[in-house]
Amino acid sequence: MSDPKKPRAAFAPWDRRELPGSFTVEESARRVGNYKWIETRLFEVLGGWVATVPELDVKMRLGTHCYHHAWHAELWHKRLPELREINPDRLTQPANDGIVAFIDAMTEPEAPELTIEKLVGVYRVLIPHKIAAYTYHLNNTSTITDAPTIRSLTFILQDEFEDWRDGEMLIQSLIETPAEVDRATAHQASLEKLMVAAGGITGPGSIGGGPVMVEPAGAEVSA
Amino acid sequence: MRHALPPEDLARDERFVRNSFMVRATDPRLTAMPAEKRARRAPLNPDRADGPEAARALMHGIFTGEIQALEGAGRTCWDFPIGDGADEAPFELKLDMARQCWDEARHCEISVKLGDWMGTDIGEFAESVFLYEAACNPDPVLRLTGVNRALEGLAIDVFNTMREFGIQAGDPVLEFCEDWMLADEVTHVKMGSDWLRRLTADDPDRRTRALEFQRVVDKLFSLGGARGEEDDSPIKLARRFRELAGFNTEEIDEIAALSTESRQDLADVQDRAAAQAAATTSGER
Repeated sequence: MSDPKKPRAAFAPWDRRELPGSFTVEESARRVGNYKWIETRLFEVLGGWVATVPELDVKMRLGTHCYHHAWHAELWHKRLPELREINPDRLTQPANDGIVAFIDAMTEPEAPELTIEKLVGVYRVLIPHKIAAYTYHLNNTSTITDAPTIRSLTFILQDEFEDWRDGEMLIQSLIETPAEVDRATAHQASLEKLMVAAGGITGPGSIGGGPVMVEPAGAEVSA
Repeated sequence: MRHALPPEDLARDERFVRNSFMVRATDPRLTAMPAEKRARRAPLNPDRADGPEAARALMHGIFTGEIQALEGAGRTCWDFPIGDGADEAPFELKLDMARQCWDEARHCEISVKLGDWMGTDIGEFAESVFLYEAACNPDPVLRLTGVNRALEGLAIDVFNTMREFGIQAGDPVLEFCEDWMLADEVTHVKMGSDWLRRLTADDPDRRTRALEFQRVVDKLFSLGGARGEEDDSPIKLARRFRELAGFNTEEIDEIAALSTESRQDLADVQDRAAAQAAATTSGER
C-alpha cells in the first residue's frame, strides 16, 4: 500500500518537460497573431471556393476543411488575450506584405475549371508551410510556460496533417494528363516563390534561421 | 475571386440539370389539366400511389438544397470583410458560418447516401437554385435571416416530413438520418435568430428590413403551398421543432398564412398560363 505522506518528486521520472524556450511572450503573441490571420484567410477562401468547384467530392471536402481552419483561427483568437494582447485585432496581422501577396495570388482562381490550381495553392504550398511553422513553434517553445499554445498546436497539427492528406489525394485524383501535371507544378512554383519571398507564414524565421527572439537578457532559467 | 457569386455561376458537374420553380409550375402538362385536378395534393406518405417516387424526388431536392446551403454558408465566409459595418460581418459570425459549412457538407454526404439507399441517381431530378438566391443578399443580416431562419426553417419542415415518412415506411435508416439532420437545422435557425438580435439591437430599421426579407423568402419557400399546415400539404410545418429552434407561435402562424397566400398565387399563375395556352391554341386554328 502506498504511503500518502512519502515525498515524491514534482516531476515524474518520465516527465522530461523543460523550462527554457525560444520565444518570449511577445514573440509568441506575434506568431499567434500571424497564425490567426492566415487561418482566417484560409477558411474564408475555402468557404468561397465551395460554390465554384463542380467536383462534388471536392466541394464537400472544402466545406469540411473550411470549419477546421475556422476552429484554428478561433483557438488563436482566444490565445491572444492570454499572451497579454488585450485587443486581439491589433496582432491579427499578416507577417509582412509578402504573405499578403501570397494570399492574394492563392485566392485568385475562381473559374470552375481551375480546381487543380485552387487545391495546389492550399494543399501543396500553404498547408505544408503551416505544418512547418507550427512544428517549429511546437518544438522550440517552453514546454512548461507555453503549454496552452502547445496544446492548441498539437490539435491543429493533427487537423493539418489529415487535411493535407485529403487535399493531396484529391489533387492526385484530378491530375490525369502530362499537361495537368505541368499546370499543377507551374502554379505550385509560382506560389512557392511568393512564399519564399515572404519568409514563411510568420515571415523570416518561420522555421528558425531568422531573427527569432530569445529569452530576455538576464533571465535565469534552470535547465 | 469575386466577392459575390450569382446563382447562375454555381459550379456543377454534367449530371445536374437546372430549371426554375416557375418553369415547373407552368409545365404545359400541368396547365393542360383542369384546375381542380391541378390543385389536388396529398400529404407525403408511403400509402400514396406515388409515395415512394415523391419521396425519392424530395430526397433529391434535399440533396441539391444541402449543396446550396453549403455554398451559401461558404460565400458568407468569403463575401464580407470582417467588421461591424453594414456591409461587413463580425469574426464570430464567420466562425458560425464555417461551422455551418461543415454541417451542410455532412448533410450533402448523408443525402447522397440516402438517395442511393432509396434508388435515386444524382441528376435524376432537376435542380432549382432558389435556395441559394436567398444567400445572395448584400446585407449580411438579411442574408442570415433569409438563410438561417427561412431556408433552415424550411429544412426543419422537410426533414420532419421525411422522418415521418421513414417511420411510416418502417425505414429506420431514413428516420435515423433525418432526425440527426433535424438537430443540426434547429441549431442553425437558433444561430440566425441570435445574430439577427445581436446585429440589429441598435438598428430597428435594419431589423424590420430583415424580417420583411424573411417574409418574402418564407413565401417563396412555401413552394406554392406545398409546405403548409393544410390537411393536404405534402410538407407539413413542423411546429414542435420550430418552437425548439426559437420561433414563437405568431411567427409560425404567419408562415402558415404565407403558405396559403403562396398556394393562391400559384393557382393564379397556372390559371394565367392555362388561359394563355388556350388562347395560343385557338389562334393557331
